[in-house]
Amino acid sequence: MNRVFRPARIAISALVLLFLWWLGSQFYADYIFPSVPSVWSAFTSAVSRGVWMEMVGDTLLHTLSAAGVILLIGLPLGIVIGRSRIAEDLSRVWLVFLQTVPTVVLIAIALIFIGANTTAVVTVTVASGLTYFMLSVVQGTRAIDRDLVEMAKAYHAGESVIMRAVLLPAVVPYVLAGARIMLGVAWQVTLFAEYLVGSAGVGFQISSAIKLLDTSGVFMWGLSIVAFTLLFEYGMFRPVEAYLTRHTRRS
Amino acid sequence: MSFVEITGLSHRFGRDRGGPVLSDVTLSVRRSEFVAVLGPSGCGKSTLLNVLAGLVSPTEGTVTVGDGTVRIGYVFQAPRLLPWRTARRNVEFGLEQTGASRSAVRERAAAALELVHLAEHADKYPNQLSGGMQQRVALARGLAIEPDLLLMDEPFAALDALTRSYLQEELLSLVRRTDSTTILVTHDIDEALLLADRVVVMTQRPARIASIVDVPFGPERSVASLIADERYPELRTSLRELLRPQVTAAAGPSRAQVTADA
Ligand SMILES: Nc1ncnc2c1ncn2[C@@H]1O[C@H](COP(=O)(O)OP(=O)(O)OP(=O)(O)O)[C@@H](O)[C@H]1O
Ligand SMILES: [Mg+2]
Repeated sequence: MNRVFRPARIAISALVLLFLWWLGSQFYADYIFPSVPSVWSAFTSAVSRGVWMEMVGDTLLHTLSAAGVILLIGLPLGIVIGRSRIAEDLSRVWLVFLQTVPTVVLIAIALIFIGANTTAVVTVTVASGLTYFMLSVVQGTRAIDRDLVEMAKAYHAGESVIMRAVLLPAVVPYVLAGARIMLGVAWQVTLFAEYLVGSAGVGFQISSAIKLLDTSGVFMWGLSIVAFTLLFEYGMFRPVEAYLTRHTRRS
Repeated sequence: MSFVEITGLSHRFGRDRGGPVLSDVTLSVRRSEFVAVLGPSGCGKSTLLNVLAGLVSPTEGTVTVGDGTVRIGYVFQAPRLLPWRTARRNVEFGLEQTGASRSAVRERAAAALELVHLAEHADKYPNQLSGGMQQRVALARGLAIEPDLLLMDEPFAALDALTRSYLQEELLSLVRRTDSTTILVTHDIDEALLLADRVVVMTQRPARIASIVDVPFGPERSVASLIADERYPELRTSLRELLRPQVTAAAGPSRAQVTADA
C-alpha cells in the first residue's frame, strides 16, 4: 500500500511547490519574482540561442573534470592515509586547512595565481571537494575487516584476489557515499567560482542575469542545475548503489 | 611419520603485557589423525590454530605441516563470511583458490552445502542467514576444498543440539572416508571423545600441554556406542578432572577479591 502512495505523496509536494511559486508571482513584478511561464520562455529562448547547451556544457565540464581529478587523487591518497599512521599525521594540517579555508579565499587565491579562466574554476573545485571524498575513503579503508583478510590468506588467496574479492567490495560503499557528497559540493563550488571568476558557465550566466535584473534567467539557470543534480542522483548514484549494496538488503 | 610437527612453540603478542600466550608447546600429529584440543577460555587455542594456518608467526619454536604445500581448511571461531557474497559464492571462495575448474568449483560447493543442509539457502547473503547457518556455511567452505589439514575452532558452538550432533556424525564419517588430518578446538568433552583419536588438554594461559589422552574407541563409533562403552564415563571424568583445577585456580583469586571487598 505504501508503495502505491509514495509517488503520489511526492507528486503532491511538488504540486504544492509549483502552486506557491505561482501564488508568489501574482504579488510581485516579473523582475522580482518571475512567473512560471516567463521562466519557461527564458529557458526556451536560451535553448534556441544555443546559450543553454553551451553554458550547461561548460559547467558540466568544470564540475566533472574536477570530480574526476578528485577521484584520481583522492582514492590512492585516501587508501594510503587510511593504512598508515605516518601518512595520516603528515596530511592532517593540509586536510584541516582545505576543510576550513573559506571558498571565497580559495577563489581569490586562484584568481591571483592562475587568472580568470577555466583552470582556476576547476582548481578551486578540486581543492574544496577533495577532503569530502578523501575522508570517506580513509574511513572505508579503516573499516576493512582484518578477520576477512586473514580468512582469505588462510585459504591461500593471492594479493590480487584479496584486493578484488575482499578489499574493494569493502571500500566501495564508502567510495560511493564520498563521491555523492563530493559531487554535491562540486556543483556548488563550481557555480560559485564561475560567478566570481566570470569566464564561462552557468554561474557566470547567473551573475550577468542579475546585473541585467533578469530574474527569470536566474530562476531558469538555477532550476537547470537542480535538474542535473537530480539526474545524477537518480540516474546514476541510486541505481549503482542499489546494485553494489544488494547484499545488505533482507528479503 | 608425523604430518604436523610442533616443536617448542611459544608465542607472545607484541604489545600484550599479559605475558606469553603459548609456552613451549610440542606436539606431533600423524597423517589422518583426529586431534581435539581442550582448554580454558583465553588460554591460546585459537592462537595455536592461527600459527598452524600460517597467520601468526610464533616468537619461538617451529611448526611444520606436511611438505609445506598442503591444502589447509580453516573453520574459524566466527564464520568470517564475505558479506557481499551469497552462501554458495562464499563456499566457492575457498575452492577458487585451489585452482579447480569452474565447473568443479560449482559442483563441490553445491555438494558441501548439501552436506550442511543449506542447499535451499545457497543464494542468500550472510545477513539473511542465522548465526548457526552462517557457521555451517563456514564449515562447508572448509570441507569443500577437501583439505589435507582441517583446522576447526569450536565449529559447532553456535548450533542447536540436534544440528550439532547431526554435523558431528557427518564430520566423523567424512574424515574417516578421506585421509584429512583434523585439529579441532572445542569446549565440549563429549564432542572431543566422540570425534578424536587423541585429546590434548591445555593449561591456563600461558598454554602448555597439561596432558594428552588417547581415546580408545575405534573408528566405528557413534553417540550410542560411546554411551554403551564402560570406559566412556571414566574418560569423561578424568578429562573433567584435568580441566577443573585450572578453572578453580582462575576463579580463586577473584573470589578472594570479592570477599576482601565485602
Ligand atoms: N592479536 C592479539 N593481540 C594481543 N593479544 C591477543 C591477540 N589475539 C589473542 N590475544 C590474547 O591471547 C590470549 C589467547 O587468545 P586465544 O584467542 O588464542 O584464546 P582461546 O584459547 O582461543 O580462547 P577461547 O576459548 O575463548 O576462544 C587471550 O588472552 C587474548 O587476549
Ligand atoms: Mg578461541
